[in-house]
Amino acid sequence: MEPWQLEPARDTGLTPAERFRSVRRESGLLESMAQQACFSVLRLYFSIAHRLTISGRDKLPAHGPFVLAANHCSHLDALVLGAALKPRHRERAFPIAAGDVFFQTTAVSMFSAIMLNALAMWRKSCGPHTLAELRRKLQEERGIFIIFPEGGRTRTGSMMPFKHGLGMLVAETNVPVVPCGLIGTFEALPPNRNVPRPVRINLLIGEPLNFAAAPNDRDGWSQIARSVESSIRILIGQ
Amino acid sequence: MNDTAWQRLFGYRHAFDNHVTVFVIVTVVALLVLAPLPIFVTTRAAKITPEKRKELWDRYRSWIWLALCIVIPILAGAFWTILAVGTLSLLCYREYARITGLFRERTISFIVVIGILLIAFAALDNWYRLFVALFPLTVALIAIGGLIPDQPKGYIQRVGLGVLGFALFGSALGNLGYMANDWNYRPILLLIIFAVELNDIFAYLCGRSFGHRKFVPNTSPNKTVGGALGAIILTTPLVGVIAHFIWINTALDNPICLLGLGIIVSVVGQFGDLMLSSIKRDLGLKDTAKLIPGHGGLLDRFDSLILVAPAVFHYVGYFVGFGAGQPQRIFSGL
Repeated sequence: MEPWQLEPARDTGLTPAERFRSVRRESGLLESMAQQACFSVLRLYFSIAHRLTISGRDKLPAHGPFVLAANHCSHLDALVLGAALKPRHRERAFPIAAGDVFFQTTAVSMFSAIMLNALAMWRKSCGPHTLAELRRKLQEERGIFIIFPEGGRTRTGSMMPFKHGLGMLVAETNVPVVPCGLIGTFEALPPNRNVPRPVRINLLIGEPLNFAAAPNDRDGWSQIARSVESSIRILIGQ
Repeated sequence: MNDTAWQRLFGYRHAFDNHVTVFVIVTVVALLVLAPLPIFVTTRAAKITPEKRKELWDRYRSWIWLALCIVIPILAGAFWTILAVGTLSLLCYREYARITGLFRERTISFIVVIGILLIAFAALDNWYRLFVALFPLTVALIAIGGLIPDQPKGYIQRVGLGVLGFALFGSALGNLGYMANDWNYRPILLLIIFAVELNDIFAYLCGRSFGHRKFVPNTSPNKTVGGALGAIILTTPLVGVIAHFIWINTALDNPICLLGLGIIVSVVGQFGDLMLSSIKRDLGLKDTAKLIPGHGGLLDRFDSLILVAPAVFHYVGYFVGFGAGQPQRIFSGL
């Protein structure tokens, strides 16, 4: 008789506060339901208040793992991308969010983890260990990562050069990177505003890119960054 | 809803009607007030590492919170008691599903959660036929839910885990909630919980004092025969005497039956403890979670209660029964 394959949650042994901040976190039934509800409400909000249009949705891969990489202008960006996904994709979708903003206090990290399923990336102290864990999560758990390779929101409205983090996750893997262009989120909620304006938002989804041939080193990472950056620049016309 | 049901569900003014309730609460408060003394003495006298000392104090602080979470709903009314037991069932199932990996099977988890909620409703409603029907029906639903992914590989595992989870945390623990349909539920529940937790402590203390022979070294290396027997010897008369005052002048109120109740609480309580040890050892884990400082997860704390609840429910049910004279189907029968 074959033994059962019992695999405890990867976050077993963490206190609740540690678990919210950990990239090993795995959602349970209630959290999944909360995330589905949250993104359904957001979808409705974006359709009504921002007349959200999505073009190229058919280019999204049928299932994970894949990475959505987009330009970053506003806190609305990750919400738009999450809301644009199909409901069956949302369960595995993880916006990669700045630890110092979305996971600073336990109450805020609880919200980011439970409602948005966000994973913390500590900009100043993100070691190779966290990146290796994220790389594993992407492939083994067939995750869908929402990433902003600029590493922060633009303050001027024009896109900033991409960093290497994205390359570290996908180099030498078959995980496709889907370039996404966001237009209108800067006008709707720029970094200096707290309340969004009802401005039209467009999401343009490009052809998935594969980086199995890109080496997992500094050269490979910058090659990936350049390639994704130019795809997104073409999409948003910058 | 008639006044009797209302008073039982929400009548906090009846909290201290029974002398046994007062006695148990006073004892718990006294133990909690006096507990720092031996902790203080041991941490001073013995050479104890700072981590161990912190763990002891964490454990003590957690006991105060746990005692409040147990005692307040029971005193407040049957409604709050059943709500608390339902919440405990859900949280215990959550821990179990996470350590076994069953939480990844969303359909089965959803069915178990619905089953637990319905068990809580049946208890609240005092609808015994629904309460009894829910076990086979939920099992059938879990077996059906396991078919949905259309993947025969792993079917027995996911359905088996789901059924075990519902049996332990929905059905077995649900008996504790159903006991709240008795007018005299406060002393009964306080006695069971108090005795089961004290039984654990007795086993630990006796094991430390005169336990030499290992009991089940593969399952739980720290358990000794001395600890197990000591707990039975101490818990049985304690339960017997308190139970005599609860069920005075009933069919249960004779020395043999009362001692039987005491033995059930002590023996089955220890088996519940061993059951969780086996589950943890099978999975290679030390604790089920890190929720309660000094204790581990909720399952680590309430493991002994899970099997005691149905055993006591049906033992007492055989002689006396629960909820005599209480209105049935309070909500569904309107």
